[in-house]
Amino acid sequence: MHQYLFLIPALPLAGFLLLSLGGRHLSRKIIAWIGVGSVSAAAIFTIILGLQFLQAPPPEGSYTQTLWQWMSTENFSCAINLRVDALSLVFLFIITFVGALIHIYSSAFMRHDRDYARFFASMNLFVCAMLLLVLADNLVLMYLGWEGVGLCSYLLIGFWYETPANCHAANKAFYVTRIGDTAMAIGLFLLFKELGTLNIPEILQQAPQHFTAASPNITLIALLLLAGGMGKSAQLPLQTWLPDAMAGPSPVSALIHAATMVTAGVYLIARMHVVFQLSPVAMDVTAIVGALTLFIAGCSALVQTDIKRILAYSTISQIGYMFLALGVGAWSAAIFHFFTHAFFKALLFLAAGAIIESLHHEHDIFKMGGLRKKMPLVFWTFLAGAAALAALPLISAGFFSKDQILWYAWSAGNGSPMLWFVALAGAFITAFYTTRLMIVVFWGEMKTHIGEYPGRAMTIPLVILAILSVIAGFIEWPHNMVHLTLFSDLVQKVLPATMLQDDLPEEIVFQIIAAATALFGVYTGYVFYQGNKALIEEWKQSSALMQIRNFLFKGWAFDQLYDALFVRPFKFLTRINKSDLFDKLYNGIALVSRRLNQLFSISQNGSLRWYIVGVLIGIIFILTLQLML
Amino acid sequence: MICSIIVRNKGSFRHIAAFGLLILLIANILETYGKDFFHVNTMQLLQFDRFGFLFNSIALGATLIYVLLTGKEIEKSGKYAAEYFTLIFFVLCGIFILSAYDNLLMLFLGIEIMSIPLYILTGSDKRNLKSNEAALKYFLMGAFSTGLMLMGIALMYGGTGTFQLEVQRISVGMYKGVSFLEITGLLFLMVAMAFKVSAAPFHFWTPDVYDGAPAVFTSFMATIVKAAAFVAFIKLCDVRMTATLGAIDWKLLFALIIVFTLLIGNITAVFQQSVKRMLAYSSIAQAGFMLFALFNVNDVAKEGLLLYTAAYSLATIGIFAILVKMKDYTFEGYNGLAKTQPVLAATNTVFLLSLAGIPLTAGFFAKYYMLAAVVKTGSYIWLVVVGVLFAAVSVYYYFRVIQAMYFRNGNAATETITFSFKTGLIILAAIIILIGILPQVLLNWFYF
Amino acid sequence: MPIQYYIALASALFCIGVVGVLTRRNAIIIFMCIELMLNAVNLLLVAFSKMPFNIAETGASNASAGADAQLFVFFIMVVAAAEVSVGLAIIVMMYRNVHSVDINFLNRLKN
Repeated sequence: MHQYLFLIPALPLAGFLLLSLGGRHLSRKIIAWIGVGSVSAAAIFTIILGLQFLQAPPPEGSYTQTLWQWMSTENFSCAINLRVDALSLVFLFIITFVGALIHIYSSAFMRHDRDYARFFASMNLFVCAMLLLVLADNLVLMYLGWEGVGLCSYLLIGFWYETPANCHAANKAFYVTRIGDTAMAIGLFLLFKELGTLNIPEILQQAPQHFTAASPNITLIALLLLAGGMGKSAQLPLQTWLPDAMAGPSPVSALIHAATMVTAGVYLIARMHVVFQLSPVAMDVTAIVGALTLFIAGCSALVQTDIKRILAYSTISQIGYMFLALGVGAWSAAIFHFFTHAFFKALLFLAAGAIIESLHHEHDIFKMGGLRKKMPLVFWTFLAGAAALAALPLISAGFFSKDQILWYAWSAGNGSPMLWFVALAGAFITAFYTTRLMIVVFWGEMKTHIGEYPGRAMTIPLVILAILSVIAGFIEWPHNMVHLTLFSDLVQKVLPATMLQDDLPEEIVFQIIAAATALFGVYTGYVFYQGNKALIEEWKQSSALMQIRNFLFKGWAFDQLYDALFVRPFKFLTRINKSDLFDKLYNGIALVSRRLNQLFSISQNGSLRWYIVGVLIGIIFILTLQLML
Repeated sequence: MICSIIVRNKGSFRHIAAFGLLILLIANILETYGKDFFHVNTMQLLQFDRFGFLFNSIALGATLIYVLLTGKEIEKSGKYAAEYFTLIFFVLCGIFILSAYDNLLMLFLGIEIMSIPLYILTGSDKRNLKSNEAALKYFLMGAFSTGLMLMGIALMYGGTGTFQLEVQRISVGMYKGVSFLEITGLLFLMVAMAFKVSAAPFHFWTPDVYDGAPAVFTSFMATIVKAAAFVAFIKLCDVRMTATLGAIDWKLLFALIIVFTLLIGNITAVFQQSVKRMLAYSSIAQAGFMLFALFNVNDVAKEGLLLYTAAYSLATIGIFAILVKMKDYTFEGYNGLAKTQPVLAATNTVFLLSLAGIPLTAGFFAKYYMLAAVVKTGSYIWLVVVGVLFAAVSVYYYFRVIQAMYFRNGNAATETITFSFKTGLIILAAIIILIGILPQVLLNWFYF
Repeated sequence: MPIQYYIALASALFCIGVVGVLTRRNAIIIFMCIELMLNAVNLLLVAFSKMPFNIAETGASNASAGADAQLFVFFIMVVAAAEVSVGLAIIVMMYRNVHSVDINFLNRLKN
């Protein structure tokens, strides 16, 4: 089976080529078939491959397929190799399977759009690039996928390019992630300089011998790679692009900005775990970045009014959990949270998309309300996703993964009570804003007339994802409850098991606290938005609280901060440079080349005699040079 | 050996020519893999090695594509179509000799067999004064360089007593085996070769001749013929010049020539108004890049030269094939080509990108290998920097064409374009991209 | 007569040829000057064929040496003849169009 591995990225690529080259001449039905079919076929291949992998694990732990030797010189060779191990298999499954569901959903969601073919072409290209990213066995190919997903993200955020704000959001996403990408590229160069290879297995093998633990070089490399991950995964301080990225169509938000691309940073760090383990500083930075991000983004989600922005901030916050888990060394917990998060966050985005479409593109949650009765299916599925997001104990997938992270945040080798506390506060906030979202959107009276109900192509993916959001957690139980740890058994073939600290409190205590926190968050939310509405009104009168609210609403005013820190000084510099100081240099170059050109033009004057003189001067010059030396 | 097959094609038309080329190509590839058809005792005048065979394959393949794409234009360019094909075959014959010579006599004969038909082809547009002028200039300067070359060979003979490429050195007492006569002769020979590959300051003929000659033949001259001159040159460098390393600082000499060539070629190309003349200067600039291979002859350089030859020839043939179809050879003539002839514009873009050395096209790897060959020497790293800078300059004037095709409004007038012509262009562009993605396919031949 | 005399004579002839190429305006005379250069080379080759320079210097003697240089001379003559035929044809073509063989008229192609 694994000799057909190349088909998994090749199918979406073929879909992209077909649609982008011939999209204009195809009917919508065929476009949808191609777009959905290519990804679905890739998903089927992935599932077959995954079953085979699970039944008969390959002895070396991975399937590798060499497609071709791209280039090879004495000291650098780069083969186009695809490689599947347990880690990439998880990502592969999410990308193709959730991707296929989202493609099915979009075939209905985008049905009125003028650029149907362009949408599916971009989506297929994205899937292909993302698959390359996770299948690559060397960092060069991975970087290709990395940039490819960035490009597709840019294209899809700006999909409705007639609105200037959308283009602005696309540009912002591109620029901000580019900061991280540049850092990552530098990190790759350093890594190559040190180890002389960019092949991932070789790096993982050679790094421990080559670097002494905590040497400055490895720390620098790890931090640069981390910066790359922070850019892609919208972590502090490069998180500002993701809320704006919601300008794209909802399926795009679900696929790219919730389930797959934004977790590329998690993948990168997990892939290069040996490098990170060698550098305690980088691990600590990862954990702290994750903890801060999850808290800050969670607070911002509390006060947003745009349904997609709430989900966007919550995505940032959830990825913060993953970074926290990576940072404390709970590798498999991070990947497990990625796994469950992909289901429930994609579900929430898709359901939100269905609501938005039904309500005539209304994004403001306070103009929704009372949808519980009118759109029961969307309500129930949304509820499943929200329960997972809020990590309701035992009945949601989110609980199992988040509980694990919370436990490890304290108990893992790198963990600390402080991290645990921040994560717990984040969990409370998450439950709170999730309840707020549910109540405001689904309870109360209806404020907007429902236009069109979602069709079957949209509801089926919702139902599937809702079921998964509930049951996906059951494959991995906390080991003090049920001895079922399928997920970590799989992932720990690649990633090291989590080291625990000595003398810890009982795990059950943490679980009870976590569960209680989530429930308490839900209860608080209920009290504020359903039980005692007057309280909110009262608070709205207080200007101090409103200021805090506005501060949070603007995402802790990071945009304004960056504006003041970077954009203004830059504009100031450009103003100084109004007289084109630097242009003088370029004009100088242009002038010199023009003068040189004139000189050469004179020499090329058409006269044969002059040409021969030129040749003779050359000869005489060479001969004298030789005699002199 | 190969000449005898060629003569058979005398007085034939386009299709026979293409067919003959195909047979030659197949024969040559088989020969490369060790199938001997018949053996001729060349008395150490010629020596067929793998490098030569590979180059022959590239030259034949490129000529085949050239004939297929522009064969019709050749027929149109004058009354004597058959003779033009014959002359092209004569040139090829000279090229094969050049790729296999082992004796300075054969070098001389190869160069002459290659050049003399070219003088005729240059002047084939008899009524056109530009063509006349180009032919006369080319002829007089060519003959002059032949004089220099012969002087060089004669002096080298005086110094070593043999015409063989490899010299048995005898050192007696103070005499180290390399005499003054030989060095002077070698310098003369080098000047003549530099003239043939249009390296500065011996490049003066190039722009005028390329501009004046009918575009179809310019295409041939600028690609396959020039590449052959390079192959002859690298052979000379490989054997004879390295043998005199102690006596002459070739590296410094080549470094100066390279910088000067790149400078003149690129700077002048930037300011040209006619695409055809711009291509003439760009071919000087590309020659500057190919000279990197001679700078330090090693395996990387040889590989690189083959790759460069293939990449450069294919792309240039494509560009000229399109140029021939244009009514107006200036940049304005290309305005809006993307609207009127999207396929032509798209393929032309691929060719231009390849010449500019943009990654994922054949030209990128070609340039990469050239620079890698210099990096391997360890010294003269500044030369690599200069090379990269001038590669960046070259992007400017290649993109001017792309800009004209895509971003300028205009009515690019072309002659009628047949479907097969378009298909040919697309295949050619596909080959270029293929080499860009899989350069090893071409290079793997090199290892045996 | 030492070989140096021959070298000097051939170099002188060669230089006369070069100077002729440089100073003359008539294409045919330029061409003849080039022929002069070639013949200087012929002379030199024949001279070397009888008195190889480095062999004279190193003091060894080789009776059979030199045949290849004489052969080379014949090849040069043959090629020169071919060049003459092509070259004269080009000059005649030029003459038909502009009624002159003055190379100073060759200045349409420049810059």
